[in-house]
Amino acid sequence: MTAVQSPRIAHRPLGVFTRPQGSEGWRSWLFTVDHKRIGIMYGAAALFFFIVGGVEALFIRLQLATPNGSVIGAGTYNGVFTIHGVTMVFLVVMPMAAAFANYLLPLQVGARDVAFPRLNAFSFWCFLAGGVLLTSSMFIGGWFQNVPDGGWFNYAPNSGVLFSPSKGIDFYAVGLQITGIASLVSAINLIATVLNMRTKGMSLFRMPVLTWMLLITQFLLLFAIPVITVALFLLMFDRLWDSNFFNVAAGADPLLWQHLFWIFGHPEVYILILPAFGIVSEIIPTFSRKPIFGYHFMVASGIAIGFMGWGVWAHHMFTSGMGPLSVAAFSVSTMFIAVPTGVKILNWLATMYRGRLRFTTPMLYAVGVVSMFTIGGLSGVTHAIAPSDTQQTDTYYIVAHFHYVIFGGALLGLFGGFYFWWPKAFGYKLNEAWGKASFWVMLIGFNFTFGPMHILGLQGMSRRIPTYRADEGFAFWNMVASIGAFVIAIGVAMFLWNVYASTRKWRRAGRPDVGPDPWDARGLEWMTASPTPEHNFDSDIEVQKLDEFWHRKYGRDETGRVVRAAPTSQIAHDGSNTSVHLPSPSYWPIVLSAGILLVGYGLIFNLWLAAAGVALLVGAIYGWSLEPPDDPDAAGHHGDHAGELPAADEAEGRAGSPLELEEAQSVD
Amino acid sequence: MSSRVKKLAWLSSLLVVSGSAALIAVAIVVDKNHPLSTLSPVGRQGREIAELINPIFIVAGVVFFLVQGAVLALWLRYRVSGSDTGDGEYGYYEDEEFPEQVHGNNRLEIAWTLVPTALLAVISVFTLIALFALDDVEASDEDLVVTVVGQQWWWEYQYHLDGDTTTPPDFVTANELVIPVGVDIPLDIKSRDVIHSFWIPKLNGKKDAVPGRSHDWVIQSEQTGRFRGQCTEFCGLSHGYMKMVAVVLTAEEFAEWRDNQMTPAEMPQGGTAAASGREIFAQQCASCHVVNGITSPADRGGEGTEPDGWDVYGEFNGADAGVYLDIDTLVAGAAPNLTHLMTRSTFAGSIFDLYLGAGEHLGYLDLPASGTLNRGELEAWIYNAPERKPADADNFRGMPSRTGLSPKDIDDLVAFLSTLD
Repeated sequence: MTAVQSPRIAHRPLGVFTRPQGSEGWRSWLFTVDHKRIGIMYGAAALFFFIVGGVEALFIRLQLATPNGSVIGAGTYNGVFTIHGVTMVFLVVMPMAAAFANYLLPLQVGARDVAFPRLNAFSFWCFLAGGVLLTSSMFIGGWFQNVPDGGWFNYAPNSGVLFSPSKGIDFYAVGLQITGIASLVSAINLIATVLNMRTKGMSLFRMPVLTWMLLITQFLLLFAIPVITVALFLLMFDRLWDSNFFNVAAGADPLLWQHLFWIFGHPEVYILILPAFGIVSEIIPTFSRKPIFGYHFMVASGIAIGFMGWGVWAHHMFTSGMGPLSVAAFSVSTMFIAVPTGVKILNWLATMYRGRLRFTTPMLYAVGVVSMFTIGGLSGVTHAIAPSDTQQTDTYYIVAHFHYVIFGGALLGLFGGFYFWWPKAFGYKLNEAWGKASFWVMLIGFNFTFGPMHILGLQGMSRRIPTYRADEGFAFWNMVASIGAFVIAIGVAMFLWNVYASTRKWRRAGRPDVGPDPWDARGLEWMTASPTPEHNFDSDIEVQKLDEFWHRKYGRDETGRVVRAAPTSQIAHDGSNTSVHLPSPSYWPIVLSAGILLVGYGLIFNLWLAAAGVALLVGAIYGWSLEPPDDPDAAGHHGDHAGELPAADEAEGRAGSPLELEEAQSVD
Repeated sequence: MSSRVKKLAWLSSLLVVSGSAALIAVAIVVDKNHPLSTLSPVGRQGREIAELINPIFIVAGVVFFLVQGAVLALWLRYRVSGSDTGDGEYGYYEDEEFPEQVHGNNRLEIAWTLVPTALLAVISVFTLIALFALDDVEASDEDLVVTVVGQQWWWEYQYHLDGDTTTPPDFVTANELVIPVGVDIPLDIKSRDVIHSFWIPKLNGKKDAVPGRSHDWVIQSEQTGRFRGQCTEFCGLSHGYMKMVAVVLTAEEFAEWRDNQMTPAEMPQGGTAAASGREIFAQQCASCHVVNGITSPADRGGEGTEPDGWDVYGEFNGADAGVYLDIDTLVAGAAPNLTHLMTRSTFAGSIFDLYLGAGEHLGYLDLPASGTLNRGELEAWIYNAPERKPADADNFRGMPSRTGLSPKDIDDLVAFLSTLD
């Protein structure tokens, strides 16, 4: 929320500084500051980039399907695998997690919006600017002529102008700085939201596991993004203005880049996976009809991962020559990070134990994560054994490992999240039959693609090679993997068809109401109408327990049996309160992001363009700070704040400090 | 779904799972025809790594089956049959009994925190022991140390027979690292440009070649033979085509090979095709390629008259060539030393066979006699190398094309190269 304003003062200093109005039509999406719309836009953009990155992956698999492949040349291949990695990490999994964070965090803590709604809009548009810049590298100046070609890890000195003379790595250095700004701004915003905007009684240990995992993710982003930004900044100066941070001839040590990259890069792995862990922790209890097993241990293991994730980065560098003592230290620290992850797996299994399991589509995805992530975790432990890592690193064994973690863990979890929260966001469920079918097709394709890569890696197939000799014995499993990749593509196409067909069916049926709580779920987000009304909740919710909503629905009778206490229709808000004061939309987040995009292209191509971008950027900052805090004519603004969440001064005095630690309550 | 359909689904998924497990097992056990495999090591270090990791693979396999088995068992045991779709108004099981609402069990949590921790602690002890053991070099009669220099996109080997890497090497060769059997050979791994990684999977793990740094590594083979390798740190355009071979000879064969390598090439007799080939070589090739006894440092723009080509590898334009050369100096001397080209079985970063039909032939000095020269590939390479292996020759990365040469010129060049045995 913006700061509390007095509505009686009409701010109209200049015409241009009025705020946009209306909540219908495409314009309202461009200027929205509603965390739910921003979340949906994050999701849509991530799905778009997922298709782009998926097509890139298919080209990789086409090229490697047979020995001496000639589908694409070596130079193009290097570009394709680089942009595939960059796209999937920075433009797919991270924003897809941001979609859930934006949509769900305020709802799960019972807030009206995020702490800084305009900044939230800026995060999205800035991310999109970075995504557009990175993706445009594929066709600017010719097809794949200026695409980054140094791998997503982009080791120095191969990333220097000397060895990569195209503009590709400039796109990488600038584009990732822009998406980094988006991540940083978003992290600060969401941390402030969770820490300061929880509803009454929502102490930290009454927050859902998903809220916790997303909060930890934001802290990881907050500390990891500056590190990669420093590295990218130095790289940019090396490439654009001939500085010597990574120039070995001038005395640089190329390991500097590796350390900086992986100090970011390893926490990044947990940035990718923790949101999915959170999603799984919401889905499994719902469809097991049991609370999450070991809530405190689930939270604590997430925090442990958050801390330990900072002490393992150099396991990416066991062969880099950093010396046996460092290798030993990072080998051991890496091994033990398996412990908190194992705790999570076992708690999920314990949640399912003696539950009443319903394998809906979201549940299939969640259990898929448990099963597939275990494989990635186990192969991860084998990398921690530093001597054996000298055989495995930079082979397809690693490719197999991190696809089991990021696809089998993060992406499956996020897709499960799509199915689970789709009715909350759009008011109708995706079709279950299509959902289940697409899950199985995706899962089978996934295992046929990445399972064989374990074998290929152990048989000595290196990563990032555009082809291999026929007599190296890699042909069979590569063919299997390539077929598997197309099966995944079919599964994804089925998901997209499901979205289309379910939407059409719902519209033709006259948009029936799915109800606030179609899955009989537990979090506060289900306690309001679907799709979520713009103002989230009709009135403040006072939370007394973990899984507050579930506890309002169910109680125990005299015999100790769990029985329904009240119908959901009586508990859930119907969204009818139209008198809630909401932050008005704003022109400036998207304008500011456009300025940043111009600066980005300007740095790469022409500094005059950058100057224009800076002018736009500065103008946008002025516009941002000078625009009236509110539009007195906006809908929903009735001069009264009935039902509004506590204002800042009241919030401080609410029951319980934000850091209050409270035991989770059991039903009794 | 009817129960029969469900049974069929289970049966088929079980079939798929067990079938793929069997396939994987077969693939791992039958490890023939995988020249780069880490699963059948023949080097001491490779074997020690395998002995460390194989039991851990088994432990991981047990955990894998326990977890997947638990998922499957929970699924089968606690799955509620009937509609999963839940289209009721407020959820779909209004009147259903709830399972017991268990919130956790601290003892269980502590147990499954401590048990994996203990297991991993045991594993890390074995890991550390192996880690430091692998760092040691076993003493041997050989003083040999090989400086391995990676560059885009081939490997150079500088043999220091006295083990002193600060003095000029006794001889220099490329792509094929020849070592005697059964002896730990220390390697001193460097790079001239970007980061590469030296890896002969059957002998030992990999070690990065980092410009500006010198990394110790050791390699050993318990069998004679030819063992392939691949650069495994992404090093730019032709990374995938940067391969190498370790050739392991008996002590006698190695001595013979070594003595031959130390002999400079002989000037071809005047009037022969080889003699005119040498002249073309001097004009077209000698600015980068060294042939001891035939090319001179002056060919490469360097000064001095030392015929052994060392100046290129020691001081060149004031830079330590083993450390890093910028692009202007990279061109000089940064191409394989061809003095004994014909004793190698591969060329162009070990991506092409130099002989057809030579197979895994080990009588190394007899190679020219035992196979047929792969003349077509060699001529194609000389004529237009960038077409055969991606390169950025305009920027001195990779071998430039020589499309100006006539067929006769190329025949003469090949005739000259054929004398380099």
